[in-house]
Amino acid sequence: MSRHHISVTVNENKHEADVDSRMLLVHFIRETLGLTGAHIGCDTSDCGACTVILDGKAVKSCTVLAVQADGKALLTVEGLAKDGRLHPVQEGFLEKHSIQCGFCTPGMLMASYWLLQRKPNPTEEEIREVISGNLCRCTGYVKIVEAVQYTAQKMSGMDIQS
Amino acid sequence: MVEAPVIWKLGWCSLVNDDMRRFVEGRGQFVDDLHFPNMLHLKVVRSPYARARVLKVEGGINGSELHFNLSGVGEGGGWQDSSGIQAVDHPVLASKYVNYVGQPVAAVIGEDPYAATDMMEEVYVEYETLKPVLDPEEALHSEPIHPNLKSNIITSLQVGKDFNLPNSPVQLEEELVNERITPNPIEPRGLVAHYDGSKLTVWASTQSVHSWKEGICESMGLSSEKVRVIQVDTGGAFGCKSAVYPEYVVACYASMKTRRPVKWIETRSEHLRASNQGRGAKAKVKIFADATGVVHGLKADLLIDGGAYPVGIGAYAPRWIAYQLTGPYAIRHAFVNGKSVYTNKAPMGPYRGAGRPEVAFILERMMDLLADNLGMDPVEVRLRNTSNEPFVSPLGPRIDPFRPFLESAVRELDYHNRTQTGHVGFSCFVLVPAVQPGESARIAVSGGKVKVWMGTCSHGQGHEVFARLLVSEELGVPEASIDVEKGDTDQLDEGIGTWGSRSVIVGGGALLQACKKIKDEFKTRLGKYDPEQLLKHEFDASVFYSRLKPLNSFGANLVSAHADELGEIRIDECMAYYDVGRALNPAMIESQIMGGSAQGIGQVLYEEAKYDEEGQLLAATIADAGLTRAHHMPNFTIKLAANTSSPHQPRGVGESATMGVPPAAIRAIEKITGEKLTRTPIRPESISPKEPSR
Repeated sequence: MSRHHISVTVNENKHEADVDSRMLLVHFIRETLGLTGAHIGCDTSDCGACTVILDGKAVKSCTVLAVQADGKALLTVEGLAKDGRLHPVQEGFLEKHSIQCGFCTPGMLMASYWLLQRKPNPTEEEIREVISGNLCRCTGYVKIVEAVQYTAQKMSGMDIQS
Repeated sequence: MVEAPVIWKLGWCSLVNDDMRRFVEGRGQFVDDLHFPNMLHLKVVRSPYARARVLKVEGGINGSELHFNLSGVGEGGGWQDSSGIQAVDHPVLASKYVNYVGQPVAAVIGEDPYAATDMMEEVYVEYETLKPVLDPEEALHSEPIHPNLKSNIITSLQVGKDFNLPNSPVQLEEELVNERITPNPIEPRGLVAHYDGSKLTVWASTQSVHSWKEGICESMGLSSEKVRVIQVDTGGAFGCKSAVYPEYVVACYASMKTRRPVKWIETRSEHLRASNQGRGAKAKVKIFADATGVVHGLKADLLIDGGAYPVGIGAYAPRWIAYQLTGPYAIRHAFVNGKSVYTNKAPMGPYRGAGRPEVAFILERMMDLLADNLGMDPVEVRLRNTSNEPFVSPLGPRIDPFRPFLESAVRELDYHNRTQTGHVGFSCFVLVPAVQPGESARIAVSGGKVKVWMGTCSHGQGHEVFARLLVSEELGVPEASIDVEKGDTDQLDEGIGTWGSRSVIVGGGALLQACKKIKDEFKTRLGKYDPEQLLKHEFDASVFYSRLKPLNSFGANLVSAHADELGEIRIDECMAYYDVGRALNPAMIESQIMGGSAQGIGQVLYEEAKYDEEGQLLAATIADAGLTRAHHMPNFTIKLAANTSSPHQPRGVGESATMGVPPAAIRAIEKITGEKLTRTPIRPESISPKEPSR
């Protein structure tokens, strides 16, 4: 099997590695880099637990090859907080009690982050549409939607209505 | 909507956020996140056939070297007299016959998951296929799938006393079905096993470290002190992570053989094929009523699709469902014939509610159909069958006075106004939490900190919140001084686990008993109790809180729905009025209700573990399994009744919505289609909404 030398900027740090052609991006992130926030829930890009941001786009890293990330910038859940301060979307999930078992949480955060980057004030329907690519079996999604709404308000400097 | 207790306003939220912070930072420690030096990765070679004779297995770890079995009585087996059960053990690795697609036949271990996957190709298995038995009705009469048994009947029993009510003016008969569902927690099953030469340590994604330890010891013939099971962050379970499965035993065996850590992580396609599936119940029900809507008698024939081995609750389900089958109603005569049968499918196991939702579906459907038959209001029919007095069901359980609750539910859910417009369904139920036999807890005070363990194993229910609250109240120490630890069999000698809406009731009860033990010991050693002094000393108390008296937790739902322009059913609003007793963690209670409702809606509209005529599962991915997504979800109104119970007053809520939502949703859909609905899920092709209905 052929090996490839790849260079990926992960959470603003450059990483170089030799990887097998068949290695999935999610395994590169979890096994090679040791960043275990992105989870594997389905292997078929249906559950979204492995969602990360690759060159600005939300991708399901279980169906992207590590070699496809060569030369690109990757943002994982571990890169959301800056200098010990949580990103507003992380705060939103805590404030709104949007977490039960926590397994889908990193993927939900990254999908929500991507939505808010593109659309700072999404409607409830737009939030539901975007996170429909992520499965949660615990919460019924309501408090996750509320967290994204809370984050949007907070990021636009509006008063937060509890 | 839910009134917060005073403690909330005193900074409780910041502690909750500390508990949860690791999850938003990607620092959760789930079992696949564990990395040990020198660790091996295990993959399982599985049967591609629903039923076959195994002629030859070559390569890997296979049944020629590994002879362990899993007990054929399964969960809940101790609850009943097991003499009526035709049991058969589940071989950890099949060497003679395979009986479901996905049954483990061999295992390989590689240096990484890719290498292990490659090694699966080196295992050669020769099969002679046999005709599978898939339909439970057919299983009653066909040749036994297990050659050493006389029939496919796992258990056959009667509950209640037979009766005759020949003069009942209304006799209504119906066949009602809940198809099978795969639990599908978003984190699949998994473990890491490590044998260091003297002790086997297992890191587990689990609902119960103690049932895992017991299962592993029993299957492998290991003594108790040889095995330690530790819970790590567990990404949901819904019943499927309570018991021991073949893969766990193989991983333990592989670690003992290699003396290296061995990790096994289930893939989703393995979960769909080989994790225990829930529901799978059919009931032929007859009710005997008078013209005023009073039900005088109920007869039912239950048939449970037990799957290939009774390792889940296949042996236990008929009695458990039969026991509850008069629900919250004061029905004087009841008689149930219950059977479960072997079929060539994955074993039947607990799935959120585990028998309770089947009961609510059967009873509430019959109440609605009786109302239609008599031209009465469905709630009026229900009210006619309630009592202001405690009622002992002819099937066993004692039911608290239900009428006062139902009357408040009708008011709180604004039933009479809501039914004026739109398509609305109403349901009510009694949840009987699995409190028996009780639960264990341990509290250790040292270095100014209070450490807490419970035999329950939280996996998304936030037990740390109620544990801190109760211990803080009882010991008078600050919540910030209390650390709630995960399940660990070396820290707690005995324990039961988390399922059956039980943890806050019995786990909480055990904590209070442990607190009392510590205070008593304090008084003996140091005199008058003083919390500040407590934190300056060392104490360690373990208890087993025996809770034998069953509890009732009443609930009611109101669900509205419409059909869109394409004929697709949309659930608009889901209202819940549940008696949770004292609400120890209101935000989590709301979340449990909404999450349970999502599963209830899934059961009604989308989810089914469907097999084809060859016994092949038709769901290849989690998308095919039909889990609800964010855009499927309705609006919620949640109201909590707080009829407290002793000693610390919660009543349990985890399974309430899976009981209440399906029958209410089905009724709302029935209102749209005008056709009688008798099974879940409702397939879009089986109904024909006449026009967009809103």
